[in-house]
Amino acid sequence: MTSPVIDTPAAGAGAAARAADLWKVYGSGEAQVIALRGVSVELERGRFTAIMGPSGSGKSTLMHCMAGLDSATRGHLTIGDTALNGLGDAGLTRLRREKVGFIFQQFNLLPTLTAEENILLPLAIAGRKADPQWFQTVIDTVGLGDRLGHRPNQLSGGQQQRVACARALVSQPEVIFADEPTGNLDSRSGAEILSFLRRSVTEHGQTIVMVTHDANAASYADRVIFLADGQIVDELLEPTADAVLDRIKRLDVMSSPTARPDGPPGQRTVEDSPSATATGATE
Amino acid sequence: MIKASLRGLLQRKLRLSLAVFAIVLSVAFLAGSLVLSDTLNARFTALFSTINQNVSVVVQAKDPQAVEPARLTDAQLRALSEVDGVRAVSPDVSAQGVIPFRATDGEPVSADAALGFGVDGNDDPLGLVELREGRWPTAEGEVAITAHTAELAKVKRGEQLKVYLPVLNEPRTFTVVGVAGYSGGRDSLAGEVVVMFQQSFAQQTFYGATGLYGGASFAAEEGVSDDALKQRIAAQLPDGFKALTGQESSEEQSAQVGVLFDVFKYILIGFAVVAGVVGIFLIFNTFNIIVAQRTRELALLRALGAGWGQVAGSVLLEALVVSLVGATVGLAAGIGVAAAGEAAITSEVALPSAGLVVAPLTVILAYLLGVVVTLVAAFVPAVRASSVPPVAAMRDVVRPDKSLTALSIVGAVFALPGVGLVLFGAFADLGGTAFLVLLGGAVLVFIGALLLSPLLARPIVRGLGALVGRGSAGNLGVRNAARNPRRTAVTAAAIIIGVTVIGMTATVVQSFKTSLTDIMGDNIGVEVMIQASVTAAPDGRQGFNPKALEQVRAIPGVKEAAAWHFDALGVSVAGQPQAFGIFATDVGQAARMFPIDATDGTIRTLAAQELVLDDNIAETLKLKAGDRTPVVIGGVTRDYTVVGVYRATPLIQGILVGEPAVADFPGPLAFQGFVSLNDGVDAAPVVTQIETIMKDYPGVQVGDRQSYVDQATASYDFLLIAVQILLLVALVIALLGILNTLVLSIVERTRELGLVRAVGLSRGGLVWMVTVESVLITVFGVFLGLALGVGLGAAFTKALMTLEFATVIAIPWLELAQYLLAAVVAGVLAAVIPARMAARLNVLDAISYE
Repeated sequence: MTSPVIDTPAAGAGAAARAADLWKVYGSGEAQVIALRGVSVELERGRFTAIMGPSGSGKSTLMHCMAGLDSATRGHLTIGDTALNGLGDAGLTRLRREKVGFIFQQFNLLPTLTAEENILLPLAIAGRKADPQWFQTVIDTVGLGDRLGHRPNQLSGGQQQRVACARALVSQPEVIFADEPTGNLDSRSGAEILSFLRRSVTEHGQTIVMVTHDANAASYADRVIFLADGQIVDELLEPTADAVLDRIKRLDVMSSPTARPDGPPGQRTVEDSPSATATGATE
Repeated sequence: MIKASLRGLLQRKLRLSLAVFAIVLSVAFLAGSLVLSDTLNARFTALFSTINQNVSVVVQAKDPQAVEPARLTDAQLRALSEVDGVRAVSPDVSAQGVIPFRATDGEPVSADAALGFGVDGNDDPLGLVELREGRWPTAEGEVAITAHTAELAKVKRGEQLKVYLPVLNEPRTFTVVGVAGYSGGRDSLAGEVVVMFQQSFAQQTFYGATGLYGGASFAAEEGVSDDALKQRIAAQLPDGFKALTGQESSEEQSAQVGVLFDVFKYILIGFAVVAGVVGIFLIFNTFNIIVAQRTRELALLRALGAGWGQVAGSVLLEALVVSLVGATVGLAAGIGVAAAGEAAITSEVALPSAGLVVAPLTVILAYLLGVVVTLVAAFVPAVRASSVPPVAAMRDVVRPDKSLTALSIVGAVFALPGVGLVLFGAFADLGGTAFLVLLGGAVLVFIGALLLSPLLARPIVRGLGALVGRGSAGNLGVRNAARNPRRTAVTAAAIIIGVTVIGMTATVVQSFKTSLTDIMGDNIGVEVMIQASVTAAPDGRQGFNPKALEQVRAIPGVKEAAAWHFDALGVSVAGQPQAFGIFATDVGQAARMFPIDATDGTIRTLAAQELVLDDNIAETLKLKAGDRTPVVIGGVTRDYTVVGVYRATPLIQGILVGEPAVADFPGPLAFQGFVSLNDGVDAAPVVTQIETIMKDYPGVQVGDRQSYVDQATASYDFLLIAVQILLLVALVIALLGILNTLVLSIVERTRELGLVRAVGLSRGGLVWMVTVESVLITVFGVFLGLALGVGLGAAFTKALMTLEFATVIAIPWLELAQYLLAAVVAGVLAAVIPARMAARLNVLDAISYE
């Protein structure tokens, strides 16, 4: 099986994270669901990449696999110069500790910790001290100076996400993965968060990968990758919101049944999150 | 609605199974206790029915424990046997405490019952006892014994047997001329030893004269009912006797013996109570958390039109089903416990089998306990469930933690007066009522402390956490333990209850032991103690002959030997019954061996009708030196003169009379002996020699000073062990409670766990985090429990000091440290399953949104 090869600019030594021929298959037999079909992508250091696609396109699965949260069925994954394949739980834990930062859509903060303690949590877990100067810079960037002693339930949703951003930034990881970071926010708070992310890339050279379905959010990125049916189908550099919307419309046409030459009949794609396994684990 | 709640029940069966377990434990102990008691009673009834199988009517003294019980004369017995309808008569000449010595090593045979009978040389007219070999005794120096006795004493027909005779208070040697058994080929009925003497010798020895009988058993002629014969015999009975049918006699006897096994019953009921109380907290917590987790589901039901009553009812229905399941399993387990208990007891005491008895009352009480405990525990959660607003189905309704203020005020309302009462009871000189005041205060303090425990949870957990919460994982564990103080407090309540009881007992026991050791060590010149072990109220009929002390005084190195007689049966002074009895000894000698300080009059060797007493009793009886007062000993009233009053100490207290008064005691035997030695004499060889002298007196023990302290504190140690077992039961349930809370918390915090894993916490870190939380909850409970227990124990000891039962408050640090360690281990164990659950969570699943 072949996959469309997307021309990736500046491929090579500058990659913060890389996926080569990545497959992700859930279940087997009748219930088999293919979430990713041979995706190859490189995320360059010091750039802000957005991953877009309709529901079920596999964009969250791609991010989870590249971040080491989910295992690949096949394919090669690296973060920095570390290969993810074959790393056990301890290895993946260390990788997350040292090289990866996360910003989730919600439930980003521990309710028992203050904002400052939440920000410093990854460093505390790793047994490292924060560089006071950098910590101050991060705090200034996200504008939380007077709220550091507050607990999450005393903060608004936007403030909570700013704390989450600060937490991801403070350990200066190889790459920050953000999963719909503005999905739960009003447009003004969302814009603030996106500006912080943009500035941390521009001013501090941080690498950020963001999954989103919001064209406006994607327009803050340097590069947008479009997924459909578990494959990368398009990409856009230096996007504007209009350009992104335009591409999405074209993709909708492409992914309609008549325009899908190689989809086996009866096969369906997964939702963004594998909810079947999620509910299984909570019981 | 009912269908919905039952289906929900099945889905939550895992979580509820722990709550069920608490009910099972409680019900099992209760049912076990009742079944065991009924089963043993059935066995005893079977036993005595066997003894009375051919007996229609029994005639016996109304008060067999009297100093001079009534006796039947030959003429009276003859008159009764001529009553119309009597077919056969078996007169009773018997005594207890007739103890044979083993032929091989000269040690007394140990058996639960050792009986002596007088037999008239003919076969048993009622056919219970059958001669197996040889013949019945016909001369003074002859005895017959049962086959079981022969086995225990290791003698055969024709051999010599040494037997201790209780009224003569010395052993004699007899020739075994016959071996007997019981009808049906049994060697013994219940493991008893029986020696049968020539009848006139037995009468002379046991009753002091020939021609006397303790009672008789009668068989009726055909066609005469037991009741009819009883009526006829009763009409002719001499004073002081009563007639019972064989059946009535069996019931009365089995009830008397059954009392001996009541201690097992009460221990098991104690366990049932502790398990029940602790179980309430566990069940309460479980339902509370389940209701919190079902908020959306309950709100949906409300939005779909369910009334609040239906919602509350669904929770209570769930509780009812849980309780019925728990009670059923508990009842089955209880029957198992009873079967094991019966097996253990009957392996010691051979009793005829009567099968396990599961009375309808047992079943009813078992279900009642299970249902009541569960419904009480589930009531508050049910009310809470009914208050979920329908809108909660649509969005998260923020239900802020209820303030602890109201709860804490109620707690203070209990605790403060409680503390006041405890202090009042401890420091005010209230005499015996101090303990009632203290007990009331203790209960109030305890309830208050449980209500205040949520308020205390946060600061104490944080304080303790500062010690263990190193590193970020530990720190997170500390915060989790402190985040929901109500949950932490309720989870720890089981431990608080158990540890308070044990801490209190340990403190009182330790104080008492330390006091006694201090006094014994410092003040007395006594090196060797002789002590009779008693099975009934001591009255001079158990112990050793004081003449034996003459041999003791002859041992080289012995300075003095004093005999103490003790009578606790029916003694009264100045018209007041004295439950603690009266001592008779050479008081002048006692003053040389023990510290006795006179506060009034003089303390000296007493003549007849003179007494001294301690200051507490003198105050109660309003007596002072020089007063004359009536004293009743052994049923005889005489006027005594108060010679002196002395200060009560934990060692010496009570009313003392001189040796001449022993003549009035029911028996002449000494209860205790004290021996002082010359300087530099080693006690050990003297103890051995005195043991040889005392060998003739079964049940008399000899030991050095330390063994006396050990013996004096042995019953307190037993109490402590019983309470420790109780603690173990509470700890097991508490462990389940913590496990339960942690599992439910982990389910609640799935996303948080995923988050900390995503930001780099390792599996080991997660396990440590959960363990720290678990250990902190446990240690919080132990900490609070020990503080309460030691405080209350110290207060009780203070009251004991006022009454001169103790001299110091001693805190058992070693035991306290052990309890703390046990709690830490329990906390770690409780965390194993939840921690594994947490560590196994898939990070991705944990952070995924619905």
